[in-house]
Amino acid sequence: MIGPGPLWRDRLAFDMRIAVLVCVVLAVLPLVVQGPYAQGIILVSVYFAILSLAWNALAGYTGQFSLAPAAFAMLGGYTTALLDFYLKVPLFIGIPAAIISTALFGLVLGKLVLRLSGPYLSLTTLAFAEIARVVVGNSHEFTRGDQGMHVATLTDSRLGYYYIFLAALVVVLVLLYAMLRSKLGRFMTAVRDDPVGAESRGINVVRVKMIVFCISCALCGLAGSLYGTFSQLVSPELGLLQQTGLVLSMVVIGGMASLTGSIVGALLVYLGSEWLRSFGNWQVIVFALLVILFARYVPGGLWGLMLDRLKGKRA
Amino acid sequence: MLLLSLDLLANGLIYGCFYALMAVGLAMIFGVLKIVNFAHGEFFMVGAYTYVLVALKFEVSPWIALPCAALAGAALGWIVERLLMRPLYRGYASWGFMKDEYAVVVTFGLSLLLINLVDKIVGPYSYKGPSLIETSRFALGPVMLTGQKAIAAVVALLIMGGLAVFLKRSVWGKQIQAVAQNRLGASLAGIDATRTTALIFAISGMLAALSGALLAPMVNPSPDVGAFPAIKSYVIVVLGGMGSVWGAMLAAMILGVSEAFFSVYGSYDYRDAFGLAILVLVLLLRPQGLFGEKGREL
Repeated sequence: MIGPGPLWRDRLAFDMRIAVLVCVVLAVLPLVVQGPYAQGIILVSVYFAILSLAWNALAGYTGQFSLAPAAFAMLGGYTTALLDFYLKVPLFIGIPAAIISTALFGLVLGKLVLRLSGPYLSLTTLAFAEIARVVVGNSHEFTRGDQGMHVATLTDSRLGYYYIFLAALVVVLVLLYAMLRSKLGRFMTAVRDDPVGAESRGINVVRVKMIVFCISCALCGLAGSLYGTFSQLVSPELGLLQQTGLVLSMVVIGGMASLTGSIVGALLVYLGSEWLRSFGNWQVIVFALLVILFARYVPGGLWGLMLDRLKGKRA
Repeated sequence: MLLLSLDLLANGLIYGCFYALMAVGLAMIFGVLKIVNFAHGEFFMVGAYTYVLVALKFEVSPWIALPCAALAGAALGWIVERLLMRPLYRGYASWGFMKDEYAVVVTFGLSLLLINLVDKIVGPYSYKGPSLIETSRFALGPVMLTGQKAIAAVVALLIMGGLAVFLKRSVWGKQIQAVAQNRLGASLAGIDATRTTALIFAISGMLAALSGALLAPMVNPSPDVGAFPAIKSYVIVVLGGMGSVWGAMLAAMILGVSEAFFSVYGSYDYRDAFGLAILVLVLLLRPQGLFGEKGREL
């Protein structure tokens, strides 16, 4: 799937080209898909695509399985909401503030947990995510608890919002591509594939993890903040573990360590879950089942399947 | 003040028994495969539901429903190992997925699957579990207890005693210890490591299900009832030193008692965050757990 050697660079460029193609398709999609409901659905799937990209940078490329992406989205949303509610800070400051505050949260949490590895890291981030949700949900005086908080909105036009989300997606995509192309990108995969070997070659493993963790958290914060202003409401539900599960399933189904995989996975899973919504919670059942089957039998995800097809060989 | 403290201590210890029952299975799985089972809470949930539904639908005595729950948990554990855990020790790492990652993804997915599947089959309602014995509250010295709590704690202690004897004395128990210490070495000595792992998963599922069944009258099972017991067992397993069964038992008592005190003297609203905060603290200060390098001892 993620072979070493010269192929890797080509594969990244190929991956990026397809991802850009998908974004172009997304840009013209609202012309085909009419109606606020349908456009709202593709908008939310773009939100999940940003989260999936952020999580994939950390999990797929760096091998750090955080279980807190939804929690960081929630923290980003609340940063903007609290600033708006208490200080009447305009959104063009409130949204960057969400990025900065989640990056800082990521810095502190990362400092604490990134020396841990494997299941320990997952456990700590899971604990952090649940603590954040319990605290936000119980601080009634400050965050209004489970009722959620009202947030100002950037624009009333749903189509306008869609293009804001899409622009954010493209920015995130370009940022990750630049990251992966740079020395940091090769450090990331080195840390994932062989942390001890990377350390022995002089790579500061904890620092690489730290940088990627902060960036990933900040991107989740951006997504959460934008989502909050779109729905004009942030609530602890943004940080539910089920949301993290959704992000995880998008990446696993789309393909670990693939830009296109994250975006396409997010689109397919979210559109699929909307379609399945009429069947009640069959949606989560189907996706949980898909995650298990993909992890068990198709570890490369759809992207890996496609690469195998193109190369005409088995992984 | 003193009486209240005694009361809290007793209740904390009783909850500690249930936590221990829950956490020991998780510790055993970690001891052998070095993975965290993120679906452990759903073993608890399945046990609680089996107990309640068998007792209510077939109108049998709870004392018959209890072993049914144990069986259901054991069967679930066994199936999970057979279908999903095999790749962990049968050369799957070369596929590109790492062992830890595979385990996180699969058990997390399994957890979501079981919660929603049960929600679909049984419905999202919570059921009132029947008590094992019908007594009202009684006083044990200065401590007030309900009959259900007392008898369930006794049953939990008996089960753990039985487990301890099983691990120490029986051939299977010794095989489990051997595989936990050194999988390859145990295989070389002629132990079927795969079968032993299946046995561990069955025992782990059984213990979690039993703890769910014993707690069913107190928590009223709903599909997501396993979440907090699971988080508590993560705390306990980390606190006790990953993979150490005895560490887990002791850590369960510590958590049970400190939680009881926190919810009275600390904040009741944040009691669910308390265990998590302990988990984070322990992982930061002493990732090997309170009981040192016993990580490999079962």
